[in-house]
Amino acid sequence: MTWLFLVALPLASALAVLAIRGTSRASTVLLVTAAVTSIVATVHAALPTQAAFLEGYFHGDATVQLFAPVINVIFAGISVYVRARVATEPASRRFVFLALVFLAASNLALLSNHLLLMWIGIECTTLTAALMIVRPDAPASRLASWRYLLFSIVGLGLVLLGLSCLTRSMELAGQPPTLFLDAMPAAVANPADAWRALGIGLVVLGIGTKLGLAPMYSWLPEAYDEAPAPVTAMLGAVQFNCALVLLFRVVHIYRPGSGGLITGELLAIGLASVAVSTASIVATRNFKRLLAYASINHAGVIAIGLGLPISASYGLLLYVLSNAFIKAILFLTAGKIEAHYGTKDKSQIGGLIKDLPYSGLFLMVGTFALLGFPPFGSFLGELLILSALVTSGQMFVFAAFCVLITVSFVATGRTIFPMIWGEPQQARTWPEQRITQGLHKLIFFVLLLVLGIYIPPQLNLLMTQVAHSLEGP
Amino acid sequence: MSPLLIAFVGVLLVPLFVASWRLSLFGLVAQGFLLAWISYQLDPALDTVGSWVVMFDLVVVRGLGAPLALYAVLRAQGATARHDVLSPNLMSWTLAIALVFVAFRFADMFVPLEGNEHSFVAGAAAGLLLGLLVLATQTGPFSQMVGALRIENAIALFELGGHHRDPWMHLPQTVLLVATVLLFRWYLRTLPRPSTVAVSAVEGMTQ
Repeated sequence: MTWLFLVALPLASALAVLAIRGTSRASTVLLVTAAVTSIVATVHAALPTQAAFLEGYFHGDATVQLFAPVINVIFAGISVYVRARVATEPASRRFVFLALVFLAASNLALLSNHLLLMWIGIECTTLTAALMIVRPDAPASRLASWRYLLFSIVGLGLVLLGLSCLTRSMELAGQPPTLFLDAMPAAVANPADAWRALGIGLVVLGIGTKLGLAPMYSWLPEAYDEAPAPVTAMLGAVQFNCALVLLFRVVHIYRPGSGGLITGELLAIGLASVAVSTASIVATRNFKRLLAYASINHAGVIAIGLGLPISASYGLLLYVLSNAFIKAILFLTAGKIEAHYGTKDKSQIGGLIKDLPYSGLFLMVGTFALLGFPPFGSFLGELLILSALVTSGQMFVFAAFCVLITVSFVATGRTIFPMIWGEPQQARTWPEQRITQGLHKLIFFVLLLVLGIYIPPQLNLLMTQVAHSLEGP
Repeated sequence: MSPLLIAFVGVLLVPLFVASWRLSLFGLVAQGFLLAWISYQLDPALDTVGSWVVMFDLVVVRGLGAPLALYAVLRAQGATARHDVLSPNLMSWTLAIALVFVAFRFADMFVPLEGNEHSFVAGAAAGLLLGLLVLATQTGPFSQMVGALRIENAIALFELGGHHRDPWMHLPQTVLLVATVLLFRWYLRTLPRPSTVAVSAVEGMTQ
């Protein structure tokens, strides 16, 4: 029951923000709330798992224990960024209110033991994020926000339709229709039928839209590019993981009876996503867009890893968790760089390591992690996924994956590294950077290293449990 | 197929062939009320909170709220009467009719026996496919909103045909739909309108 604190506190804080005067105080409320929810989520992760509560609508299983601290800690880091920006670029109370509702809805989606309640949580994050994407001084952000909302509504509509098809399949099989996660494995024990196949297909396609997977990915580069940096980080590292957990739940329940369909669909959309994002990474001159395309690329890798029937689950989780911290570091750093240079054109930015040493450093380590360099968790995760591709006999996917990843590796390095080490385009004077301003990114960096070098036993246990659950009930 | 569902397919199709934004919105009003009527036929007792929530969703939100919210904005903007929900050419119209046939063929495959369930599936599939067609062919926000609301209505029709309903879940879904409609209204007010040059070019061709 105490898990619900993660939903109740941000909601209460959101209401409090409405009564507070001054954006500085509001951003302090945001920071304190995010810090408290991070601590609560981390403490709960160390406690035993909790069975369903509150009429069975919520639970605190291993997946919740693994992902709740991740998204809350990342959100806390984003709050530090927002708090620091208030001095130069006031964050409005409206933004803080929406961010707190976004956090509450994200936690609601994670804690849900009911697929429809998860859907409601993710839809709520979508509506709040759509408003946060809009920047008053940038008309293009309004259009990007609209496209984000439209694609999300259609994608989530397909998920809803898919869930209806799944309950219809249960009815036809003579089982009581239910969307409670703990009751579903028994209700889907019958052989698969056409409604179930259609339902799974629609659900995977719909969640794929939220994850930025092909074919409905075109909202993502525009939204990530136009949104303020904290919102991009929220979309890429918080909402992405909530949608991914929904996909994990569906895969967990339906893998045993419909494994072939899930494997085929996820491998196809995963590979297509890696292909389209690689082509876009090669072509773009905008470094924020490049990071957005890299997110599509990573979502594709995750879909491929999840599509594999066996042995990739642990590597996949390692990749997913690393990916969340990488995106948070890179998008927050990109916001800082864009604010300083006033451009997103890579050719206009050079010598970051001299101009903005900490931002340059974080862009460098973030890019190394993005590209899957050791010792980061993304390296080991990608290696385990590649190994699983070979052992499961998916040689075509393996070959295509290797070629595409190599091309995106070279193209990303070619864009980002001159920004870091190249010659400055013109002499500028910056206010001196202090390491305290980047403390949140430093914490993300340490967590990234932990995932790659030493995984604590408690975290390892949680990851093993979640990986096991992905292979079926 | 029941007369109500025939009427539903009718209000899905007719606004696509008439280039008027008022008729598009009237189509949404008609869809909402037909859905409510179908729901009433399935559960005439209306003796549970869940039934009233569904009725509120269909009549007040889908049938009245969403179309009126968009109508008020377009009227305030002085939008010209003409508005193509589909590109006005034979190809689009043929495609729209073909999609309705595809929807019925799909229903034949999934529900081989004629009856209410077959009709629900056929109507919902037609609504979904036509909504996707509108989204695929239009770039203006108003048409895209109409396409999205058509898809929402198709999903509602499909859900009416099933037996699995959870009133605790339907209420927040309705609240989210209200929030979505309010956002649509805000975007329609603030997004740049499609260029008048493009509009007059289309009208010039059809004059």
